[in-house]
Amino acid sequence: MGNPVIRDDLAEAHRLAWEHIASPGTWWTAAQRVELAGTVKRAIDDADPLPPWVGPSTTEDWCDEQVAPDIAHDMAYRIGRHAGTITGDVARAAMDELGELPYVELCAIASTVGAVMHFCRNIGIDVPDFPAPVDGEPTREHPELATPELNWVPVAAPADETAAVVQAYTGVPAELENTWRMADAQYMPPSEMIHPDWMRRADGLTRAQTELVAARVAQLRECFY
Amino acid sequence: MLSWSSAKTGETADLTAVAAGDGETRLEHGDALLQFATACAERDDDALAAARTALVGETDEAFMVDAAAVAGNFEMMTRLADSTGARMPASVLEDRAQAIGVMGVSTLTSKR
Repeated sequence: MGNPVIRDDLAEAHRLAWEHIASPGTWWTAAQRVELAGTVKRAIDDADPLPPWVGPSTTEDWCDEQVAPDIAHDMAYRIGRHAGTITGDVARAAMDELGELPYVELCAIASTVGAVMHFCRNIGIDVPDFPAPVDGEPTREHPELATPELNWVPVAAPADETAAVVQAYTGVPAELENTWRMADAQYMPPSEMIHPDWMRRADGLTRAQTELVAARVAQLRECFY
Repeated sequence: MLSWSSAKTGETADLTAVAAGDGETRLEHGDALLQFATACAERDDDALAAARTALVGETDEAFMVDAAAVAGNFEMMTRLADSTGARMPASVLEDRAQAIGVMGVSTLTSKR
């Protein structure tokens, strides 16, 4: 069987996601973002993964000439491979070292890489290489922030007026935009969430079939949410 | 969302089968989808190839790609939720208590 045909909107969302990874971020440079994405990729690919409590920066084969801090790589690995084991204390320690919004951006890099890598494996194609990092400085732009009850990370004010997964990346709007552009193409547009009979096309997955796949993957990833 | 969407459309998906990864889901192509979703989240490439072929055989390639994209989406959303500590309000947890019990997720480390 040759490579499956990927519908245009999905292929474009993933192309833009990789372009986004390799662009200057809000808190990380493009070089740091690509490097961290590489650590996420390694974590997902690892045939003999490190346990959740061991970061790659503590291993003998670690190259200490990285442009991103070791703890960022350690968290990138953990989110990539063992996200369900992350506790509030672990996240807090990472935010204390990296800063809260840089941590949010790191989470978004990891979740973006996870989506594209797994999609490629799911349909049996190679994962594309990350593009070369684009020169430029992080924008450091952020909205007015609030401390939510429903997330560990700060979010755009006002907090807790939308679901926790929707508000999670609002503190870093560029990541929010990329994530929900991907979700539109991979799952469904947010405006359709309330419609139990929504289908992307006439002979596509029903909503219940869609949710069956979602539920099974989330269960096997041990994600309580 | 599965129990809600299936109830709203008159289908009655069996969460027990989904949780077990086996059994009669009561959805059209449900068994092939369940095997495919399971293989997507596990690490056996041969099992994934077989599940992919079976799903395409029952449906078509575009259907399989759509299912693969949904699985990819929840690789994204689970990492988002688990790394940012996303949790549901207590009222939502009460509404979903039955589904939470059937899916066996109430003992997960990621419960918060």
